[in-house]
Amino acid sequence: MNETVTQDKKRIIANLPSDIDQVQTVAKYDVLKYLRSRRLFGIIAIEVLVLVLITALPPLLGDQYPTNADAFINRYANFSSILVVIGATLFAGDAIVSEFQERTGYLLFPSPVKRSSLLVGKFIASVGAMFVVLVIYYGAALVLGLAITGAFSTLGAESMLLAMLYSVAALAVGYLISSVMKGSTGSLILTFALFLFIFSIISGVLTISNVNPWFILSFAGNTILDITVSPYPSGGSTGASVRGMSITNYVPDVGTSIAVMIVYAAIALGMAYYFFQRREMAA
Amino acid sequence: MVEPIVIEHLTKEFNGFKAVDDLNLIVKKGTFMGFLGPNGAGKTTSIKVLTNLLKATSGSATLNGIDVTRDPKEALAQIGAVVETPEFYPYLTPNETLSYMGELRGMTTEDIRSRSKDVLETVKMTEWADKRIGKFSKGMKQRIAIAQAIIHEPTIVILDEPTSGLDPRGMFEVREILVELKKQDYTVFMSSHLLNEVQDVCDEVALINRGKLLKSGPVQELVASNDLRRLEIKVKQKVTPETVGMISKFDNVSELEPAGESILVLSMKGGDDAQIALLKELLGMKLDVISFKESGVALENLYMSLIKESK
Repeated sequence: MNETVTQDKKRIIANLPSDIDQVQTVAKYDVLKYLRSRRLFGIIAIEVLVLVLITALPPLLGDQYPTNADAFINRYANFSSILVVIGATLFAGDAIVSEFQERTGYLLFPSPVKRSSLLVGKFIASVGAMFVVLVIYYGAALVLGLAITGAFSTLGAESMLLAMLYSVAALAVGYLISSVMKGSTGSLILTFALFLFIFSIISGVLTISNVNPWFILSFAGNTILDITVSPYPSGGSTGASVRGMSITNYVPDVGTSIAVMIVYAAIALGMAYYFFQRREMAA
Repeated sequence: MVEPIVIEHLTKEFNGFKAVDDLNLIVKKGTFMGFLGPNGAGKTTSIKVLTNLLKATSGSATLNGIDVTRDPKEALAQIGAVVETPEFYPYLTPNETLSYMGELRGMTTEDIRSRSKDVLETVKMTEWADKRIGKFSKGMKQRIAIAQAIIHEPTIVILDEPTSGLDPRGMFEVREILVELKKQDYTVFMSSHLLNEVQDVCDEVALINRGKLLKSGPVQELVASNDLRRLEIKVKQKVTPETVGMISKFDNVSELEPAGESILVLSMKGGDDAQIALLKELLGMKLDVISFKESGVALENLYMSLIKESK
């Protein structure tokens, strides 16, 4: 009997697609989700609006464009971390929890596909969508910079790469939140609030306490803007004080921040997998 | 020979509550087995363990000889399942949904195309094949759910209350599909609490209550083994408390209750002979019997008696 089982098992495995093939399938249909649910077009519409505003407002307000390409791109890089937060919310905030809450898991989970393949496929789709958003945004900004200042901003390109890395970490954190939360709305709100408020508040409190918040993801994300400043800004005392204690202006170190983003991405995604793997369709 | 579904000592606990309690069950190849039990009996929980939606606390469940907890990907390769009422990705059409499920199961593009056409015909959804599912009714979604469960021609089909929540027309349509499945070479394991549905389409039945298996076997054998019958008797006279009192004293009669001015409903043991004897007794009481018939389906009587015994 055991021999029959082994033979049957071998035959079944031979007909199954590999995990990598299944990851591609899941990613393909999740990209279709972003396209058809208009999330991707929605965020692209936001960035186009921002591009138009940043480009059109200075001349309308009688302001001159910077003549330096890096200084020009600095204005655009200022918004890119917010773009990443919006992307992380839209592409990752409910990626896992919606399968449970909206009951699509009843369709997907009895299929012969590992949860790890589902997670990786979805994550790749999210990263792909996020990269499209960032490439369009930075691409337009760099082309505008080239047209207006006559020079290509290398620091702008570096800023884009940092924004991409930051987005991978932010999406991974979004997936972690999505894998533990019970409802999509709560997951979306928490993802958005975490990056926009909670991390900022923690960084602020640490800064006031004269503790360098280098390990906070959004603080590491400040490198996206800082790298467009030449020379790279250095930290130091701001001259301000709280109750007689001087406040230090901490500036993230690029190397450390890259490491922080990678560690956040790896740990958050690993934890997301752990919770997703254990999660049951109980209700 | 490896049986398609083997459940051994399966237990599933939720915070100390045993939803499934040491369940043992075998579904033989080619059978259409009904899995019966009242709400909360453990049917859906058992099916969720079988389809890897829940992890067993202890025991095992194998599909075609492969443990679903240890090797879920391999175990689920040859099954198709409709658990509860699944929701679909609203932005996909039935054809796209079938492609997604087919691709995950390793079907080729050509196979998916031809099988999609076949299964959509089987579930009568051909004309909706390229419309987005978002606004489909529950009945239409249930038919698509069945279509995705059979697109890859699995050896085992697991259905969890497939007609639950549907309107009468939807129920009728899904039952037609079940009859169609029965004609094909599938091993089907279907939970339900609609006894007439199970009696109509199932070869075998397993009865479960409080997570424990009460009885299983071929429907006809189980029905024949049950000598408890539910009878409805209509008489011309008004039924008085005295009449009720007298009949309730007859041998083998239990659960006697009036169901209207001149109708009595009762349970009785003893098979055909006891039924004949009861009719004679009633006539002997000078009651004008208008009708004397078994009420409910045979399986329902068995089900009710077993559920009562298990309490």
